[in-house]
Formats: sequence, C-alpha cells, structure tokens
Amino acid sequence: MRRLAFLALLSLAPAIVPGVWAAEPIQRDRMANGLTVLVRENSTVPVVAASVMVRVGSRWEREDNTGITNLLQHVLVKGTQSRTALQIAEEAEDIGGSISAAGDIDTSEVRGAALARNWRRLLELLADVTLRPTLPESEIEGERRSVQSALKSRADQPFQRAYDAAMERVYGPHAYARPVLGRAPTVAKLDRNALLEHYRTFYRASRSVVSISGDVSAREVFTEVRRLFADMPSGDGAVPERGVSPVSAGGRDLVTHPSAQAQIMVAYLGPGIAHKDYAAMKVLSVAVGGGMAGRLFTELRDKQGLAYSTGALNPSRVDPSVLVAYLGTAPNNADRAEEGMLRELGRMTQERVTPEELSRAKAYLMGLFNLDRRTNARLAWYQGFFEATGVGYDFAERYVRAVEAVTADDVLRVAQAYLTRPAVVSLRPAAR
Amino acid sequence: MNVRRDAIFPLFLAALPLLTLACATPSPQRVAPELPARPSREVLANGMRLIIQEQRVSDVVALHLWVGVGGRDEFPAERGFSHFAEHMLFKGTSSRGPGFVDREIEAVGGRTNAGTSWDYPFSYILLPSRRASQGIEILADMVFNSVFDAKELAREREVVFEEMRLGEDNLRNYLGRRLFYLTFRGEPYGHPVLGDRDMLQASGQETLRGYYKRHYVPDNMAMVVVGAVDPAEIRAAVNRAFANKPAQGYRRSVPPAPRPLDDSYREVRPRPERQGSLGLGWLAPALGTQDMFATDLLVHILGGSATSRLHQSLRERQRLVSSVRASYSALQGAGMIGVSALFEPDDIDKVEAAVLAEIKRIQDEGVTQAERDRAVTAAESRHVFQIETAEGRAYAYGMAETLWSLDGELRYLDGIRSVTREQIQAAARRYLGAARSRLALLPADRVR
Repeated sequence: MRRLAFLALLSLAPAIVPGVWAAEPIQRDRMANGLTVLVRENSTVPVVAASVMVRVGSRWEREDNTGITNLLQHVLVKGTQSRTALQIAEEAEDIGGSISAAGDIDTSEVRGAALARNWRRLLELLADVTLRPTLPESEIEGERRSVQSALKSRADQPFQRAYDAAMERVYGPHAYARPVLGRAPTVAKLDRNALLEHYRTFYRASRSVVSISGDVSAREVFTEVRRLFADMPSGDGAVPERGVSPVSAGGRDLVTHPSAQAQIMVAYLGPGIAHKDYAAMKVLSVAVGGGMAGRLFTELRDKQGLAYSTGALNPSRVDPSVLVAYLGTAPNNADRAEEGMLRELGRMTQERVTPEELSRAKAYLMGLFNLDRRTNARLAWYQGFFEATGVGYDFAERYVRAVEAVTADDVLRVAQAYLTRPAVVSLRPAAR
Repeated sequence: MNVRRDAIFPLFLAALPLLTLACATPSPQRVAPELPARPSREVLANGMRLIIQEQRVSDVVALHLWVGVGGRDEFPAERGFSHFAEHMLFKGTSSRGPGFVDREIEAVGGRTNAGTSWDYPFSYILLPSRRASQGIEILADMVFNSVFDAKELAREREVVFEEMRLGEDNLRNYLGRRLFYLTFRGEPYGHPVLGDRDMLQASGQETLRGYYKRHYVPDNMAMVVVGAVDPAEIRAAVNRAFANKPAQGYRRSVPPAPRPLDDSYREVRPRPERQGSLGLGWLAPALGTQDMFATDLLVHILGGSATSRLHQSLRERQRLVSSVRASYSALQGAGMIGVSALFEPDDIDKVEAAVLAEIKRIQDEGVTQAERDRAVTAAESRHVFQIETAEGRAYAYGMAETLWSLDGELRYLDGIRSVTREQIQAAARRYLGAARSRLALLPADRVR
C-alpha cells in the first residue's frame, strides 16, 4: 500500500479558502426506522462513492471478544442470501468500482465506489451485504486466517508494534488500548454465533448512516435508499454506553525488536471530538509534528539529522483521544532522540508558539483537511463519520471556524492541560 | 507516517505505470465541458517542455517539475546522487535558507515533496490555484539555485541513511527493491535508487553540486501544471522563471536492453518477519511499446484485483497465502512483471507451484471474455477516479512526457480497449516463461 500512502501525500491544500471544493451542501434524510441518509451531489467527475457507517467497533469490545467487529466486517462482504463472495467481488468490478469493509474504533464501514452511471447497482450491492449477509462458516475461517496473518505482520512492523505498545500504556483498561484487529487467542475463538449476535446487536438503523457523495441526484438516491434499506431493523440495539474514562499514568516501556531503526513514541491523552479543546489540540499537534515545518521535524531532523520520519498523530475519537509524537532513528541515536522529543514537547507547555508558527500550523491543518476531502470516497467518509460520532454531518464548517479562532494562549493552555504525563515507548534491536 | 522525499521503491513504482497511464483522457461528456479536454504542450526556446491542463475539479493547482536523470543514468561513483540531489533541493537556495521552501508552502496551506526513481526525479508543489505563480518561482529557484551547503549536505546524508534503514524494516519495500536488484542484476535498473552508502559517505559538495548543475538544465526538464488556472498566466510565470536559462544541448542515453534471465537469478534471504514471502520476476515490455497494453490487462487478470486468478485461487480457494498480487513495472528501457505473496514459511513450495499453475492455465487456455472486459472497465475506472485530484493527472503527464510520450498517454485507453483475449494469452506465453528471477524471504531459522 505504499503507493496509496504516497499518493495520499501527493495531495494538496486550498487552505486559505477552506472548503471551496466541498461547497455543495449535504442533504440529509431520516427514515422511519431511524436510518440517516446523507447525500452530497458532486458532479465534477462521473463517479460515486457510498459508505454504510455503523456505530460499532473496538470501542464496544471486551477483552474476551476483541477483534470481533473487524472479523464481522470482513465476512459481511463474503456472501449474502443471493450472492457468493466471488459474485460480490465480480459485480463490484463490473460497475467499475470496488466494495470492502473493515473494523475501526468508534465507527466501522462497508464502503463502495463505482462509475456514477452504476449508482443504483452500487447501492443495491451495499444494501445486500449490509442487510442480508449469510456469514458462511468457510468464509469465517478464511477471514480468520487472514486476520491472524495480519496480526503477525503488524507485530513484525516496528512502527505498528511501537504504536500498539503506546496505546496499551496510555489507555490501560479502556477499550482504546486494544487493537482493532484483536488479539490472536481471542480471534481464534470467535465463532459464527458470536458474529451473528454482534451483527444483530449493532446493525440497527438508529446506529447507522448511509453516506453518499458523487455525480447523483439526492432526490433519486433518497428514494432508492428508502426502498433498499426499509427492512433494516429499527432501534439502536440497546447497547450500553461505556462509562470508563481513561487515565494515563504515563511511564516508559522498552521493546526489543529485530529492526534496523529504533522507533520512539511519546503519547498523551487528549480531548475527544466533541470536547471544547478539540480544535486547539489539533493545532498543537500540528505545531509540534505536522508537515516539514513542525518543531520535531525542524529541530530533530533538519537541525540534528536524527530522523528520517518524525511527526505527531492526533486521531479523532469519541472518547478522550491521544497525541502521539513519533520518530524513527538509528539505534545508537535513540536515547538522544527521545530526550530531544521530550524537550520539544516540554517546551510547548512553557512557551507560546510564535505568531508565524501558529499561522503556519493552522494553514497546514486546514490544508490537510481540505486536501483530504477532495475525492468522493473521502467526502462520503467524513460526513458519515461526523454524523455517526455525534458531532453532526455539518461539523466540518464548525471545525474550520474553531481552528481559525485558536490563539497562542489556547495552544499553551491545552499543552499544559494535556502534555502532563508522557507515556514513552522505545523500540530498538537487542544490543549486540 | 511522514514519508518524505522518497526514493520510489519498486513495489510502489510497480503499481504506478498502470495507474498512471490509466489517467489520460478526460471523460468526454461530464468533466467540465467548457474546459479543454486535452492539455496544451509547448517547448520553450531553451528546450524546456511545458504542459498545462486547466481543470476545475478543485481550487488547487498541482505543479510538477520533472527532470530526465535517475538512478539508471548514474556512473558507479555516482550511485545515489540523483536521489541525494533531490533531497538537497529543499536544503537552501541562494535566496532561501534551508527549510524555507517547506515553510513558505505550508504557510499557505500547500504541500511539497519529491520522489526519485531509476528514470527520473520529480518535485511537486500543491497549493491554492491563485498562488500558482509563486509556486512556479519557488520550483525554478530549487532546480537552478540550490546551494548544496556543505554543512547541510552532511546533515542530509544522515537523513538518507535513515531512509535506507526505514526501507530495510519495511518488508514490502524490501521485497520489491531486492527483486529489481536481482532481476536486473548489475544493469542500470538493478542498482538501488538510494545508492551506495560508502559512495554517499565519500560524496563531497563539489561532486554533488557538479552532478546537479550538469543534469538540471532546461532542455532536460518538463513542467506540468494541472488545476484551476489561467493558462496565459501560467505561461507568463514559467517564462519569467525559466526562460532566461540557456539550453545546454543535453542528450540522455537509452539504457541497453536487459540480459535474459537464467537459473542464476535466484536467492533466498533471511528476514526478521515470521511469515515468508516470495517474489517472482519476469522481463516485460518497456513503457510505450505495443505489448504494454496487453501486458497491463494480463497482469490485472492474473493478480491485480480481488477477482484475479491468483487472489481467487491462492487466497480464497486454497487459503495458501494471506496476500498475493501481480504488478507490472513499465520503465523507460525495460519492464518487469512481478508476483509477490505472503504466507506461512512451510508453504513456500506449494505457493510457488500454485502461482506457476495459474500462469500456465492462462497460457494454455487464455482468459475469458468477462475477465478481459472487467480488466478494461478497471482501467477506465482507474482513469476517472484518478482525475478526482489534480496531482493524479500531473503525475501521469509528467511521467509520460519525461519517459514516453504525452500523446501516447492521452491515447492510452484506446490502446487498452483494442486488446483482444488472444493478445492477452499471447502476452502470457511471450513474457511469463521459464526465464525468471526468484526471491524467497524466510525467517532466519528457515534459511539453510
């Protein structure tokens, strides 16, 4: 997937005029059974992307069923009452598109894309796999094997392994500590009954959003979705909301891994997507580690040559999120790099960012945001994700305004509030 | 992760020619009908090529600057210079300090980066359309006035070494790179783009700057501009920034045809991962050759999608692999078809036999009309999806202009649509023969 990663970087940013491209309004429909439908009419290119986004994911999993959502999602597209796995894949390719599904944290989706003229066939296919999956035993076994293999691969990759260790360290007993893929012993035991129960509990209209973007008519799409999804069970599955608030005690883990580079992660808890500090934290994360002009990149890579890759991640989460600063370097630089990272992160709690840094960080952040919302697939994902996580499909505009309003004082304040107890993971090869 | 200024590794590249070539002709009826459907192409007096495509899909412009020198042009003492020089473009010019380019672009919400392959380096800037002229001036500054400061050079060299380590740790990169190395052993396409550590360690300011000055000349460059721009303004800005540099009479050599493969192109190497991987490589048609089209479709049907022969047989039916795919890398002077798979180490012989059996089945029985049609639809669809972004198109035009021909790129889908089932079968017989390279990566305790 390196190609994809790279092409994602080959993207760009109309930061100054936020959302110019995404100007077409999103239209929303609420069906009698509680299903939300979002459509963005976008006629620039003759394609369509659609996503069925459900509030299900590792956030609701337990230690004894971790990985169940991801396995379920993969099996959904592997057989329905009227189609085999191969027929599903062939049909998706026949309409010039694709269909796939995977588990995630706060929401999980089944997504598809097609040439716009085939939009009806795409929606019909999505409705079929979402509402009438058969979860065949043989496909469960196949996908289980594939997940087991992905788990091995993930543990073999230095960056991923360090990241997973940092999540465990930061989140402790909270569900976010557990990987979306699950853990091998648990995944080995998940059976068809468990998957079926998970499906019946969570695949409910009130937990779901059908999100579409492309060269289509909203009116026609609404009519079609009403017809196709009418028999989706209503309600929200009576799933108990989770009350656990994560508390990070910080600390440090040393992980031995047979890699050429050492990987260092420094992680802190941060605000969730609906929190008032959300935008300020995003600005902070970018001032520290966004792009090539963030503090980590300029200080540790440009000035000291200590890294090839360094930056900071700050994913959007319903519950308290995380800020993860990361760096890859030669093993004999690992300690120096770790000190440098902690020094730069510490500085954020002591000094205000300069006006130039603040303005660059905002421009970069908005650039990234706008850049990432240019393809229909991403537009469909964003509006569906915002709706499903509770901040609303039109969150993008409010978020942009909130970022514009962030001051240097705000950045200092959130740094002091959140960058308190670093959880450090230092992964490196065994000393010879 | 912040992947920046990459050497473009084989597997990445592998997927690109297909993807890239697929993005040529704009869809006739739907895409902004009032805009020119084809890019304009012109040659400045100093030999520099300029391609402009007005496209109003979003309010951004992609500025791509391509140079005709890559890993395959380097002399032994220059291994890695194309890539290293590309890094140094961002480390200061006579009027901009180190890191200034990044800051200037990021300050307006833009992006900049660069990549290097055996055939080219390219640098790009993406930014709000109305700042196109500023971006063009910055690119000209980078390609003509970079200073290669000695201290910056020493620092950046360490960054390149980190990039090498990062590439070692990534299995997919490693497999792709090593398979190229093996398949084109000792030839221009067989040397790592990142170069040789010792050579880079020894490279001084004057040698590297000399390399840059020699190859970064207007008659060895192409500028591609795609976005919501006014072509007249772009033309003026490019002339202001580039036209005052005289042509240097640059001539690029064509690489020799690769040697045929034999049984010596095989190796087994230990890796830290617990799963095994296998890479098989065959010599394939170069960019722009007539057989390129049939080869594209063949490789797609063999292992380019979820319905492909290899995926269905090895992953879905036999459950032998966790992933398997086929890719086609069309380079300027050569090509490679690669098949790669990931599996439990004990299964390596079964996996190899299963891959070869699927190939033989296509050679003996051909492909179905449905498979051929689906592969054509996939190519058409990739093309439409790629023009959702300006940079997708800019990349395709830049590569075609530098390595092949813009016109060929624009007629790519016509070429694809004209391919018959018989031609696909013939390509399988011609290119997927016994002469191949084989790379096995296994956990250290399995390597005898």
